[in-house]
Amino acid sequence: MKLLTHNMLTSHVKGVTKGYPLLIKATEVKMNEVEFNPQFVSRMIPKLEWSALVQAADELGQRQDLPGELVPDYEKNEDFLKKVHRLLLEVEVIEGCLQCPESGREFPISRGIPNMLLSEDEA
Amino acid sequence: MSSQEDGAAEPGPDTVGPSSSSSSTDNDATTGDIISVTIGATVPTGFEHTAAEEVKEKIGVDARISKDRGRIYFPITTDKLFQVHLLRSVDNLFVVVEEYDNYQFKESKEETLMELQELASKLPWTNALEVWKLNRTFKKKKGYRKGGNGTKGKPKSEAAGATVADTEQQELPQATSTVENQTEESVPEAESDTQDSVEAAPRAILIKFRVTCNRAGDKHSFSSNEAARDFGGAVQEFFQWKADMTKFDIEVLLNIHNVEVVIGIALTEESLHRRNISHFGPTTLRSTLCYGMLRLCKPQPSDIILDPMCGTGAIPLEGAIEFNSSFYIAGDNYDMAVNRTVNNICHIQKRRADKGSISGLPIDTVRWDLCSLPMRTSSVDIIITDMPFGKRMGSRKKNWDLYPSCLREMARVCRPGSGKAVLLTQDKKCFSKAISRMGGLWRKLHTVWVNVGGLHAGVYLLKRTEAVFGQTPEDVYESREELWFMYCFYFSFC
Repeated sequence: MKLLTHNMLTSHVKGVTKGYPLLIKATEVKMNEVEFNPQFVSRMIPKLEWSALVQAADELGQRQDLPGELVPDYEKNEDFLKKVHRLLLEVEVIEGCLQCPESGREFPISRGIPNMLLSEDEA
Repeated sequence: MSSQEDGAAEPGPDTVGPSSSSSSTDNDATTGDIISVTIGATVPTGFEHTAAEEVKEKIGVDARISKDRGRIYFPITTDKLFQVHLLRSVDNLFVVVEEYDNYQFKESKEETLMELQELASKLPWTNALEVWKLNRTFKKKKGYRKGGNGTKGKPKSEAAGATVADTEQQELPQATSTVENQTEESVPEAESDTQDSVEAAPRAILIKFRVTCNRAGDKHSFSSNEAARDFGGAVQEFFQWKADMTKFDIEVLLNIHNVEVVIGIALTEESLHRRNISHFGPTTLRSTLCYGMLRLCKPQPSDIILDPMCGTGAIPLEGAIEFNSSFYIAGDNYDMAVNRTVNNICHIQKRRADKGSISGLPIDTVRWDLCSLPMRTSSVDIIITDMPFGKRMGSRKKNWDLYPSCLREMARVCRPGSGKAVLLTQDKKCFSKAISRMGGLWRKLHTVWVNVGGLHAGVYLLKRTEAVFGQTPEDVYESREELWFMYCFYFSFC
């Protein structure tokens, strides 16, 4: 699971209103090189929940010097864009789980695939 | 197009008669002179225009769409021939030997078949054979991939070197259960087998060939079987090639569609169209069809593209390769499907790594229930998927309940105003009904009628309306009774 995907995922357990962002508990993380496309990154940033990305990076110990708030004129800052690219696309959670921040329900991640299926009574 | 009577030619492989296409002479074979030929391509029915667009974009020429569905033709010079293998919307390619717009078949079967036999020695084979030779050199260099093995049964041969297809050009059937059992990567074996046989066939000495005939139309006095057999026999005699149904070097195509007759030489093997998939499922879509659907929605850089019923991941994987400035999330509820998707992704990444390229693809896989997507509202730009058909998967009754709920959930996650959906389904009735009740959320922009594994299906291009989810009657009230009540209530105020 990449962090870009994580940024879109939310808990949909019945009754939960604050199911985002899901907490990440990773037991295995891998790096997977992806071609850098600055236009992709700079256009993606406005679609993200920035604080959720920062939190996820923290949880994985991958934050490095990522700012808590977006810097102005980031579109032209290639260094910054490369850092974001790395976090969004190259860090992969292979094993672990995602946890609903409200209900505590855990969704397992195996082979890089989060299993978000709910049981009958949770849906 | 020329008439039936062509210039006379001497028999024998190296002294074929004068060519009717442009600038070459008989002797420019190995000197690398540029010659101009017509290439024919078979494409998924319904996506002819998309394919022509791709040809214009990547090769820079205008393609002509044939009346025989699923075929386009375009000119090319041999110095640019390799470009045809970059096309993602074509299933098969062939070089045209000769085309007849309005072939006058003789009255009787005997005379017609006799004429076909005579034709073999009169056709302008030279240029087409040059192109065939040139094309072989690309394959050797590329380490040509063969895709899934045995995805369809070959038709039984009636005569040496001949094979038949009596109906109109059909799309090849989807993977059967035999393929589903292949969990290992069959691709590397297939590659080496075919390369061996190509290497082994000494060039000028023993060329093996077969004739494939496709015939469509109700005024013919003969069957494709007979045409292939007689034409094939004459070709064999003319060139002194050996007929072989399965291990052939040259596949001669005889395509007859009413009065349109095209003779060509194949440049691709048949199993090319599932290029990305090594781990098949029961309903895996052809990559060419996936490409056509993707082109239809015009992915933009940074688009988030969702396939909520991804099966083996054919669509998002094709997207991640061909439209790689977007990001793909593939999801399915079935564990075998998500596992196969990941296997297919890994297979492609490994192939890229082996070639020394940066291997990572902009794609992720999630296991989920599409009627309850664990995605933030309005977070997705494009939804593209192959919806379960009543016949191959799911059932009509299930679709009746499934389509409205998933259309609603897809509308929730899709960005209002700019969002789009491209949905393939064979259950057109159920789908149209479901969509008609969702006018507040989805608007039909365009429909492409396609043929998938012999079934007629529709690819619907939808636009997500500006309406915010949760505020239109369709998404707030789930049951028809409630909806009806709501409308009455609303209108009583007007």
